[in-house]
Amino acid sequence: MIISAALCPAAPLLIPELNGAEPVLPELRQAARSAAGELVAADPGLLVVAGTGASTATWDRPARADLAAFAPGIDPGLTKADEAADEAGEQAGAGRAWASVLAVPARSGYEHGHERPGSLLVGNWLLDSVGYAGERLLTSVAMDEPAASCARIGAELAGLADRVALLVLADGSACRGSKAPGYLDHRSTGFDAAVERAVRTGDLGALLAIDAGLAAELKATGRAAWQLMAGALDGAGVASVVRYCDDPLGVAYLVASLRVAGVG
Amino acid sequence: MTAPEAGPAQKGSGSGSGAPREPGPLRLHGRSFPTGQLLVMAIVNRTPDSFYDAGETWDESAAMDRVHQVIAEGADIVDVGGVPAAPGQVVDVAEEIRRIVSFIAAIRATYQDVVISADTWRHEVARQACEAGADLINDSWGGWDGKLALVAAEGGAGLVCAHAGGLPPRTRPFRVSYADVMTDVLDRTQGLAAQAVAVGVDPASVVIDAAHDFGKNTWHSLEVTRRLGEMTATGWPVLASVSRKDFIGEALNLPIQERLAGTLATTTVCAWLGARIFRAHDVAKTRQALDMVSVIRGDQPPARVARGLA
Repeated sequence: MIISAALCPAAPLLIPELNGAEPVLPELRQAARSAAGELVAADPGLLVVAGTGASTATWDRPARADLAAFAPGIDPGLTKADEAADEAGEQAGAGRAWASVLAVPARSGYEHGHERPGSLLVGNWLLDSVGYAGERLLTSVAMDEPAASCARIGAELAGLADRVALLVLADGSACRGSKAPGYLDHRSTGFDAAVERAVRTGDLGALLAIDAGLAAELKATGRAAWQLMAGALDGAGVASVVRYCDDPLGVAYLVASLRVAGVG
Repeated sequence: MTAPEAGPAQKGSGSGSGAPREPGPLRLHGRSFPTGQLLVMAIVNRTPDSFYDAGETWDESAAMDRVHQVIAEGADIVDVGGVPAAPGQVVDVAEEIRRIVSFIAAIRATYQDVVISADTWRHEVARQACEAGADLINDSWGGWDGKLALVAAEGGAGLVCAHAGGLPPRTRPFRVSYADVMTDVLDRTQGLAAQAVAVGVDPASVVIDAAHDFGKNTWHSLEVTRRLGEMTATGWPVLASVSRKDFIGEALNLPIQERLAGTLATTTVCAWLGARIFRAHDVAKTRQALDMVSVIRGDQPPARVARGLA
């Protein structure tokens, strides 16, 4: 059963190595680390990392070398890539076992043409940054995965172990100003407010009703992952703490801890 | 592109597009520019809202004053654009034509020798620009309009084949990633160049461009700068379009108005790595930096040497 969930941004810039000399949005990173830290403190038996990607799949552990997709040439630490690849190889077996339960493909980021979703790089980094050493499962849901199957996958993930904690990487619209990645779209205000309301009030069922077409137009990459989260927490009484809600770079970021009632 | 993970539709295979081409003279406007000659392409915007000049040459007489000035400062090519790269106010085909075609004709009427470039991704605009006297179509959006190359061929113009990572025109990169950005740049630009030649563009008038900042974050633009030699090694003439761009701003943490030194440094690196055309806002200073590179390389003699020789 699920014991706790956290909602964090999927923005690659959360990973400090991608920032250059000066940290970008340190308050956002701190909020996300606090949310991840709370998940880890609940001592889960399995920590599921879920984000949106090009396809629905489970994934092996990222290596630091994956950062090169966003920032070629940055990191002398890439000499550690082989070590990380070995570690990822060990994790791949577990990912495959779960993949068959979930009836989704098990992917390795080492396959040509299958880069690990950036959302999972961020989630994996967050867990590393708060010192999580337990079992983790990385899952992506496709950008175009229908709401019902996102929710089904979420429900199945929630049932994979006795104490499942869920880290969801998901963002709202990227159209919140003329400098935004997706330029200004006035519809983003209402869209993001509805998501914020659903998370704040714990009325996660509302997330299942999000218009996927509108979400795509607003470059709200989190839609499928939110719906996975709604499926995972379906039936659980949720009390939310919103740790960050702002759009400093034109993308709607929301950080929240979603605590399940009656779980110690 | 809406999917952050979808990335560019075409992933690099690493195979490039066959053997490198033999570098040769660049032919534009009936003139021939040898491999060692570094050309300045001056930016002349016919827009009210471009990122650096912000409407300074929106007025037609101000734009023509700018043309006089950049030619006096040593520009070899004048690049006329009517649509900003950033998203914003819609500029449709008719409006883009209205902004640049008669202006190109006016430049041609005044300057018979200068190479004129039309900065457009649209074939309808390119066709009229060629009729008005344009010699080069600068397609920063990487072949988005499939008819553009044929129009350039029919108009006897050259073509800039750029890498925008598959992004639609006037969109910003959002969490784009590449297994290897330079492989993607090489594959796409060489692919576009081959297509251009296949539809009849003179191979001596085809140019490739990494298109810094287009479909790239700052790390990607720094990488293509660092590895620009891989582009020049293809044998196609390389255009470097870096002037005052955001990757320079983020590298130095400086606003647009303060990016000249960073621009000149980047220009110098690109020149050293073999780029041949440099698209610039600051023509006189770019010309000076490039002349210095040419002198250091020995492609051009120093202007006057007496030191220690008296």
